[in-house]
Amino acid sequence: MRTFTPVTVYGLRFTTPLAAFFVLFFLAPLLLLLFISLHNDTALTEFGFSQYTKFFTEGFALPILADTLWLGVQVTLLSLVLGYALAWAFVRSRPSVQTVLIMIIVMPLLTSVVVRTFAWIVILGRQGILNTVLMNWEWIETPARLLYTRSGLVVALANVQLPLMVLPLITALQRIEPNLEDASSILGASAWRTFFKVTLPLTLPGVVAGCLLTFAASITAFISQSLIGGGQMLFMPMYIYQQASTLQNWPYAAAISLVFLVAVMGCVSVFNILGRLSKGYATT
Amino acid sequence: MDLSRRRVLQSALTLAAVQLFPGITHAQARRLVFATFTGSWEEAHKAVLVPAFRKANNNADITLDPMLSVDQIAKVTAARNNPPIDVMLHDPGPALTAISQDLVEPFPVAQSKYYKDLIPEAQESMGPAIFFQVVGLTYNPETVKKAPTSWLDLWKPEFKGRVGITNMNSTLGTGFMVELAKMKGGSESNIEPAFKAIQELKPNLAAVAANPGQLASLFQQGQIDISPGNFNAIQILKAQGVPVEWVAPKEGAIAFKTTIHVVKNSPNRDLAVALIEAAMSPEVQSKLMQAPYLVVPTNTKVKMEGEIAKALAKDHAEMKKKFLFQDWKKINEQRAGWIERFNKDIKV
Amino acid sequence: MIIGHRHSLSDLSLRITLWGLAALSIILLLAPTLVVLIVSFTSGFSLKFPPPGYSLRWYEALIDAWQLHFAAWNSIKVAALTTLLSVVLGVSASLGIARSEKAMARVLDSFFMSPLILPALAFGLASLIFFSELGIPVSVTTLVIGHTVVCIPYVMRTTIAALAQLPATLLESSASLGADRWYSFRRVTLPLIAPGVGAGAFIAFMSSFDNVPVSLFLRDARTDMLPIRMWQDLEGKLDVTIAALSGVMIFATLILMVVMEKLTGITKRMR
Repeated sequence: MRTFTPVTVYGLRFTTPLAAFFVLFFLAPLLLLLFISLHNDTALTEFGFSQYTKFFTEGFALPILADTLWLGVQVTLLSLVLGYALAWAFVRSRPSVQTVLIMIIVMPLLTSVVVRTFAWIVILGRQGILNTVLMNWEWIETPARLLYTRSGLVVALANVQLPLMVLPLITALQRIEPNLEDASSILGASAWRTFFKVTLPLTLPGVVAGCLLTFAASITAFISQSLIGGGQMLFMPMYIYQQASTLQNWPYAAAISLVFLVAVMGCVSVFNILGRLSKGYATT
Repeated sequence: MDLSRRRVLQSALTLAAVQLFPGITHAQARRLVFATFTGSWEEAHKAVLVPAFRKANNNADITLDPMLSVDQIAKVTAARNNPPIDVMLHDPGPALTAISQDLVEPFPVAQSKYYKDLIPEAQESMGPAIFFQVVGLTYNPETVKKAPTSWLDLWKPEFKGRVGITNMNSTLGTGFMVELAKMKGGSESNIEPAFKAIQELKPNLAAVAANPGQLASLFQQGQIDISPGNFNAIQILKAQGVPVEWVAPKEGAIAFKTTIHVVKNSPNRDLAVALIEAAMSPEVQSKLMQAPYLVVPTNTKVKMEGEIAKALAKDHAEMKKKFLFQDWKKINEQRAGWIERFNKDIKV
Repeated sequence: MIIGHRHSLSDLSLRITLWGLAALSIILLLAPTLVVLIVSFTSGFSLKFPPPGYSLRWYEALIDAWQLHFAAWNSIKVAALTTLLSVVLGVSASLGIARSEKAMARVLDSFFMSPLILPALAFGLASLIFFSELGIPVSVTTLVIGHTVVCIPYVMRTTIAALAQLPATLLESSASLGADRWYSFRRVTLPLIAPGVGAGAFIAFMSSFDNVPVSLFLRDARTDMLPIRMWQDLEGKLDVTIAALSGVMIFATLILMVVMEKLTGITKRMR
């Protein structure tokens, strides 16, 4: 009998073209970014850590990083509340309703992010729909400032990223055995208690996955941050772009991109650890 | 040693890239790129200058890439040998920078048909001036019943959350700050008083626009009611019926000329020169002087009449008397630092 | 009913809260699209809501917007080439990774998926520096390369999922009937994973067409990209033409999505 290679396995050599492509056009540029960031001057003549020292000691950049991550947390929490309820309602809907709902959820994900952001300019503007409605109901007398505010930005971003949160939650909720919830309520637990003690813990892997996607997307949402945040807010993506493009300070831009990258990876690892823990929690 | 190793690595990577994507290293033949300004300038150039240029040059392809002067300089500096822009448009400050950094080449004055017709102040061999700009106060007459008269009106409590400004990347922003400094005892080299005044303006701010073009559109959307503004930025909107007016403050409106330059190493040099030629021509300038553009001409063959004579000045002599011209050489010495500081100070 | 009335109040309040929030989410998901569509038909010059009147003028203005046409055509070109390259490289790599037990396969899998999590803006800047250090000018080719890196994960995710669901017995029987690998691939594997590949290709196309962080650095005026042009137009002049363009894009997306749902069941594959 000849040496047996399972016909269903194609062998790692099929990955060679992509691996070569990634090494050349993904890994090499990132390593170059690291190399460039280790220069003290824009002419790249002197090695040194001064760009990193500048970032961590100057007192301007570090708050921007912290603020960007905090923005991500705020957006993620709001999306989670809205998204969880939507996913919960989804799995309790009739199949025909589900077909429509899933279209409503997926559609924004495929619509251009510029279009979705633009919609929020229309909604939050001084002559926008929200101000019109509030004034018609006589809740406010003069138009409120909603665009170019932090809360406006958080709401808009939470909405733009909502589908990323909802989809993993739906998958997680669909996996729950309905009898578990029933069992809990038969045992005398109140509906709220069942929700927090049974349903929510069982869907933790989905929660973690959704939060990870939403968080990563909202802190890097360059267009939404700049158009809805306005000129008085500065987050890491815009900061990197300004340094690289307007000021042509490549070493510093490279350094702050890498700091941002490491910070994001750090957050992702935290999420991943949480995800692993929650899986253990969900199956026991 | 280190350098040669870097060279070897570079060639190895290039070789690999060329193996995967033959043709990647060739700069493609490209259409003419003209970096104009955002907003009304882009509109005006799209509607008047571009058609005139194309008609005179065999329908040559052209792309407008509107951006601020400082961004134009950054983009060209980053790729001097293969600049992404062929023709730059600059206010006085950036023009000085572009010339001193050797980014532009002299305009072929001798071969030019229209250069000699320009007013003396516009005859700059490194890039002729094609229009003047005037900065004053812009406001919405429907919400601001009494027309503002002074720069200081922006600080009035009644304008809480209704004022717009731009950052110092633009000539508008920097010019406004310098004027503000002067009013408070500072000068082109001492801007400290202006920064202090801006802190006090914060409660009134509704928006800090990315560029003067955005400032105009913020009026259109009702997002702001009053701001420092370019006379030309709002003219098209006004003609469309948007409630927006411009006035010269009693301290005097700020004026400056805008020059147009051929970028050094441009692969489209001849077309770039042809575009500048078209921009100087009396046909283009007289069309741009009329409504809805109302652009101040620099060609002596174009008389300032009608709407523009009423709103600004009847000729260049009156303009020079009526408006304030700032010392951009002095401003340039510290501007980069100011821009950075402004962006830090204005954050909420 | 099993649930006693002691719980009904708690049960009711939970239901009201969750259904209420869900309704709010649906409104929030639908509102932007509807608002843009309504505003795009305005007869006025601003984004005022409700519009003062209705007309098709901004859609007519779109016909003459040659700058937008130019950017849109570039974006379509780049997205199409990116999709092609991503499918060729991605499907091949997926074949190598899926069903492989080797540890290396898992390492490669994470490597190829990493662009999904890394801030793409950092990669965009890295690419710009990389190409300019090599003396390679930015062009459609460099844009396609950059976009492919960030679009590969989408193709691979759906393709690997499709391969994982492939019944091994099918391939084994094909082989036992004497079919060589290439023949089995073409006649058995490919038709079965085609919907998965198609879904991935579609998502890759849409995400390349919509890409901002990479295009931001690798574009210039001659290779203008639609999302960047729209962003700059919104920042520079808040033009209502952009609302009309958004309207067109929304309709196009809707049609493409319905078609892809019929062909590949796209909504199930996006989870």
